[in-house]
Amino acid sequence: MHISDGVLPVSVTLGGYAVSAALAAWSARRTTSDQLPKVAVVTSAFFVASLVHIPLGPTSAHLLLPGLAGALLGPVAFIAIGLGLLLQCLLFQFGGLTALGANALMMGLPAIACGWLFQALKGNTHMRHAAAGAAAGATGTAMAAVFLAGFLAAGGEDFFGVAKIAMAAHVPVIVIEGAVSALTIGFLFRVKPELLETGLVTPKKESHD
Amino acid sequence: MMRTSAIIFVLLVLLAAAPGPTCAQSPGETDCKAVTELLEKQNRQLSAELRQVRREIAALGARMDEPGIREVFAGIGYILGLFGAAALVAARRKG
Repeated sequence: MHISDGVLPVSVTLGGYAVSAALAAWSARRTTSDQLPKVAVVTSAFFVASLVHIPLGPTSAHLLLPGLAGALLGPVAFIAIGLGLLLQCLLFQFGGLTALGANALMMGLPAIACGWLFQALKGNTHMRHAAAGAAAGATGTAMAAVFLAGFLAAGGEDFFGVAKIAMAAHVPVIVIEGAVSALTIGFLFRVKPELLETGLVTPKKESHD
Repeated sequence: MMRTSAIIFVLLVLLAAAPGPTCAQSPGETDCKAVTELLEKQNRQLSAELRQVRREIAALGARMDEPGIREVFAGIGYILGLFGAAALVAARRKG
């Protein structure tokens, strides 16, 4: 799910860049230094996940992982996704450099929303965590498809037509993402539950001395 | 008079019998057809092979467009490097 160069009108391109720059700055300000290794690992995972192709009959789709990134990072996910998309764009020629702002919004906003969703749903048990992870993973991809339709509608396409196609193409991805996120979060809950605490609750003020 | 017409007649017969480049005449006809058939057959074979080679080239081009292991590691390296630099700056600021 990437928007290519020249699909969007200039106003949407510039608006996308402006909004995603603001969100990236907000996201970067929320990052604490002890979170950096985790952010780096999730960014790498997000960057590589797009190469995991799932063959589906004649076509294939690839993992997107905005939901998992959001669940693991919370608001910081936006900067992880922006950086991952920038490198995918430069190294893999996925999407276009001019559409990067819109692409970052398309993936980053669902990630932030899924971060909130995950924090709201996760309880204290292993099962609740896995279920919340599944919900976040599935919702992230579904929301990204809706955002894609919204951006393409700005480019003059019919919103519901594109939304239907994007949803239909991503139903298997939504299911697989839900399963992958549930497994990952279930595993992390068992081995390192403190990784699942995101910076959503305002982190304790660090002493600067 | 009779002589010249006889010579012309003989010449005409000779011309008609000569194996010319056209396939209309009877003695060379079978040969010519066989050669044409052979050529057409070879032509068909060659164009089939050429199509296959074209297809292979297209597949190769498509595969070359896909990112390989080098791009993957380059990207991971960039990410870790950038976050390493960020951690360095954060640590400097703190210390």
